[in-house]
Amino acid sequence: MEEAVMNDTKLSSYREWAATPLTGSPRYSVVIPAYNEEWRIVPTIGAIATHMSALGEPWELIVADDGSSDSTVELVDDLGLVNLRLLIAEKNGGKGSAVRRAVLAAKGDIILFADADQSTPIEQFEALADELASGFDVVVGSRAAAGAEVANKSLSRKIFSAGLSLIVRGLFRVSVSDTQCGFKMFTSDAAHLLFRRQLIDEFSFDLEILYLAAKFELKVTEVPVMWIDAPGSKVDAAKVAVEFLRDLLVIRWNDLRGRYEADNHPLGQDDLRVQHVETTYTV
Amino acid sequence: MQISTHTHPVDGAIELALNGRFDAHEAAIFRDAFHDALDGGSHQVRVNLAGVEFVDSTALAELVRGMKRCRELHGDLTLVSPSDPVRVILELTKLDAAFDIERVAG
Repeated sequence: MEEAVMNDTKLSSYREWAATPLTGSPRYSVVIPAYNEEWRIVPTIGAIATHMSALGEPWELIVADDGSSDSTVELVDDLGLVNLRLLIAEKNGGKGSAVRRAVLAAKGDIILFADADQSTPIEQFEALADELASGFDVVVGSRAAAGAEVANKSLSRKIFSAGLSLIVRGLFRVSVSDTQCGFKMFTSDAAHLLFRRQLIDEFSFDLEILYLAAKFELKVTEVPVMWIDAPGSKVDAAKVAVEFLRDLLVIRWNDLRGRYEADNHPLGQDDLRVQHVETTYTV
Repeated sequence: MQISTHTHPVDGAIELALNGRFDAHEAAIFRDAFHDALDGGSHQVRVNLAGVEFVDSTALAELVRGMKRCRELHGDLTLVSPSDPVRVILELTKLDAAFDIERVAG
């Protein structure tokens, strides 16, 4: 049905990644949290897999289901991509819990978490990786930094984001202008330091992670990104705003009580709570 | 997303050349261009996806709807030169088997 007459370098890189198990540790881990994403996740996986495979470094993709009640898990499992690991949660625990499970399971030197809707196109991976290579521990994709391109963002989300930014920068030590963009990159060491201490499982987990990064004096920067609002967003701005304000207090309270001084999620603890369907690497 | 329309010199089919991201926000634009092509009398529609870096599920549904409409009219909708990511997305969704896909060199 198809006439193949083009140079397929990019495509052949993808096909090799899709079919050949890694034989060593990956350089990159890309993590996607997924809750009822049957409508959106497969195109996102396709875009990410094509782009990442073309970079020429070993990499893994981790999809962390968050107790989806739709066919997300079956769809992802049926793709048959050998370097995709699917972490299945028995129940919905919040985006923060899904990201944490995946980050702590990630084996890459560099870990990116990206939303399932491709609202921040994966083509911006290199811009963040360049910053990490220049010595930063955490690089945050930002819709608010100078040079960012934001499309189709609703008025309620604009107001919500601006309000959060003011509060966070005014009351917290967090200096980045956009704490909530679902496109963040970490060195492996930084990711494990931060996510093992994470206590918030809901929407505000990003803020907690960045608060902890400041607390532990990690080097954090932000990179302006292109962001396109994807229809079907599960963010209820009003509800989330209330939770966010509550969590601001919770984070400060946790810190005052010394709850971030030691690991809250020692390695392996999360493994007991989830069912893994994963490729076994030969390391 | 931008769409340019022209008539294919060989078979007279209408070709819609898409550029940019084809997602739910752009579905109405595509639908309008597609209907204009049908209204022009051609039931052979070519959708050039060489300049499209991403298609979401809504876009895929639009393409399937367009293909079915063309076939109802005894024509067809052909996908032309899908970019690598779009080709992978078509494969992962198994839609590569449903569409007539033509790759053009250059």
